Amino acid sequence: MADNPVPGEASMDGHSPKLASIPASDSTVWADASTLLQAACTGLRDGELIHGDNFNLFAAMSALEIMDPKMDSGIVCTYYSIDEAIENGAAPIPISLDSTIDVQRTIDIMDHLLACEAAWHKGHSLAQTVFSCIYLLRLDRTAPHALLHSYCRVIRATCKAVMSVVSDARAHEEEDLFAMTYGLPLNGDGDDKCLSMLNAVEETISRQLRACKAASSKRRLSEDLEPLQSNPNLEEGFCKALLCRLRFRKHFFHVLACMKRPQGRGLESARKHIASCMTELDSILKSADFIRSCFGESCEGDIDDKTTASGHEPIGFDAMLNSRLSAPTPPRAIKILSWKKAVEYFVKLLHDLDVICSYPLDPHLESLLRFVVQFQKSQPDLVARSHLQLLLVQDGKLYGRDPFFAVITKAAALPEATKNHDIQKNESILQLGMLVMNLLKILCTNTAWQRRKHGKFLQDWRVIYVQLELAFRNEFGEVSSGSNDENISMKIFQHILLWVEEQTYWIAFRFLILGFELELYSTSEYCMVYWYLYAVLTKLAEKTHLKIAVSYATAKRKGKKKKDSPKDLARESRIPPAVLFLQCYLCLSEGLTMILAALRNEILVFQSPGPFNTEQEKFVQHFELLQRACIPDHVSYPSYKESTTHARFSTLAMYNYFKDAQRIAKEVKSSFSNDPDRLAELRKLEQVAEHNSVAQNLICRLGALDPSLKVSFELSHHPFFATVVVKRS
Amino acid sequence: MEQEVGESLIQLGNSDGSESSSSDPVTRVRKLLFRRMLVGIKDGRFFLGTFHCLDKQGNIILQDTVEYRSTRRSSPSPMEQRCLGLILIPSSCRISCHVDCSVEEQLSLLKV
Repeated sequence: MADNPVPGEASMDGHSPKLASIPASDSTVWADASTLLQAACTGLRDGELIHGDNFNLFAAMSALEIMDPKMDSGIVCTYYSIDEAIENGAAPIPISLDSTIDVQRTIDIMDHLLACEAAWHKGHSLAQTVFSCIYLLRLDRTAPHALLHSYCRVIRATCKAVMSVVSDARAHEEEDLFAMTYGLPLNGDGDDKCLSMLNAVEETISRQLRACKAASSKRRLSEDLEPLQSNPNLEEGFCKALLCRLRFRKHFFHVLACMKRPQGRGLESARKHIASCMTELDSILKSADFIRSCFGESCEGDIDDKTTASGHEPIGFDAMLNSRLSAPTPPRAIKILSWKKAVEYFVKLLHDLDVICSYPLDPHLESLLRFVVQFQKSQPDLVARSHLQLLLVQDGKLYGRDPFFAVITKAAALPEATKNHDIQKNESILQLGMLVMNLLKILCTNTAWQRRKHGKFLQDWRVIYVQLELAFRNEFGEVSSGSNDENISMKIFQHILLWVEEQTYWIAFRFLILGFELELYSTSEYCMVYWYLYAVLTKLAEKTHLKIAVSYATAKRKGKKKKDSPKDLARESRIPPAVLFLQCYLCLSEGLTMILAALRNEILVFQSPGPFNTEQEKFVQHFELLQRACIPDHVSYPSYKESTTHARFSTLAMYNYFKDAQRIAKEVKSSFSNDPDRLAELRKLEQVAEHNSVAQNLICRLGALDPSLKVSFELSHHPFFATVVVKRS
Repeated sequence: MEQEVGESLIQLGNSDGSESSSSDPVTRVRKLLFRRMLVGIKDGRFFLGTFHCLDKQGNIILQDTVEYRSTRRSSPSPMEQRCLGLILIPSSCRISCHVDCSVEEQLSLLKV
């Protein structure tokens, strides 16, 4: 050992200056320990470790492994830094000395940036997507290249605008990479001028386009203008390809700005810009043929996977340069969307934004809630959802316009005059306003988050109900006499209490059906889920009916002075369509519960066989949040067992709930003739009811006798009411 | 505190010279635990952290580590740093390893 060559001073004093720039502490030096460590390793037995008292193998497992591509985000790839990349010509300006190639490459950069932007919206970090562009990271460098400079600038300004919408809406909890901008040059001076720059460049290119068109038709244009690039045959195509790209950016930036205007004042102009964006996107797609043709050589690989219209790799991008900025997340290999997919994404985004902009800002809460739920069915992405949320809730008011108390009184079917009543200063009423505001915000989040929040939120609604009831009692006692003003206050309380209950059951209903969307229920659990759904729907229908009855009564009392039309009387005695709609749901849930229970009891299928959880545990897991909020009262696992253990094929045969559902769906359709969404829903319900009614008859006739009969439940016709499928194996 | 550890190491080193049994490198490496250690790796980065663990394969675990990297391939160049915490440096990518010690102590350390 002693004969080993001593590593000597060379490795220490003569070490690269890098070591010298990391100073040891005062009066100490760095001593080379490599040889000692090596010797120690030889001396160690297999599996033996050198460690201190505080060592914990489990904690040590969580150490970041250096040079592991999945853990170490700092691995030095091609370049050590942005500056080094630039010095090595990774992002040249001009991109090429040949003006034709320069234009081609610029278009590639534009296309790749669009793909990056879409990937960012879809949940990847900004650092690894848009800001993988070296030109964007050093924007000032691009100043001599007006075309690239203006495009990069508008991209940066757009990113900032989108970022502010999403972070204001705080709708990105589950997509939290979205708002991480640490270390990125997102805030640059002069981005407010990005549009005027873009306009100037657009103007130049459209003049170049005009000039080249004039030249081809042998007309002379007075102005002396240099062409965009040197090949006259390609001039027109390139000008057009650039113009649609620039104009798309311009209009998209306008869309964002218009949608941000308070109280939805910019929605109309936003729609105009959305339409222009769509047109430009269409032209962008069409320009692909020209761009591909002028490159001559065909590129290898599937063009649909490429991030540019030309299919060429863009110049000036390096996602690894920034990967350290994406810490604390581990470095992930991300896949930028293909150019085609990116264009598709923007078409969808613009469509979703258009739906938001075309909403008439209806102050009636019920239709608003229905609109948001319907909007969510199209699975809008984060950016669209954030815009909707910011539009709905501004400055603590609906659309920044209607105070929430006014919204509540309207929803609770109170007369217009009550919206300024002093009762709105009541503590509980104020809290209720907050709850409604939060409800709207929650409805704009993604499905998983929405469901979780709904579950927790239900208790708040329950508490507010109890508080309101208490306040009501305190104020009026048990007697209902008093001055006229007191009567109004009392009426407000009564209406609001009823409405809060209805709302609570509506949220519970949403909570249950979102579970289907998230695929949280297995077929063996369908029985308890439909049973619970039935219980919640019963209450919801009851409260809705009561609310409508009370509001009719109020309206009638008012109208009494005029005349009592026989039509009104007839109307009153009939069940309102909104309630019938819910009853259709009710019948389907009850029918499905019973058929599932009968199948379990008679031929022992769809029982929960899991070795880990008993059925009761599963019941608790699914409905704990509802149970805790007593929604509905007196509903528990024993009551579920009680109502399902006696179900048999013979009892099924006696009553067919699906027939009822089918009849109601058919009847009530005429009442919703001007509501296409609900009409479509009713059509689906009718289909499910019809299928299930036939299936139930079949099962009742054959079920117990024929062991080869296979029954399955599929969500093929409706998102949460299963269709019963009977097959002979 | 640091000073004391240093002195004890020197003594150990001195006596080790005469008694070969106590110059066991494993024991001496064990004395280096909790010291500041600077490890250089293949791609040019350096890691400065507290020596936490060493296994037979020569993999090192450092605690409270700071990563240093140059901003250019050509040196000298300014260094960039960031905190990493607990890291494991596989022996395969390690090219240098230094410990923080006083000048006197250094001599005893080098004697293997």
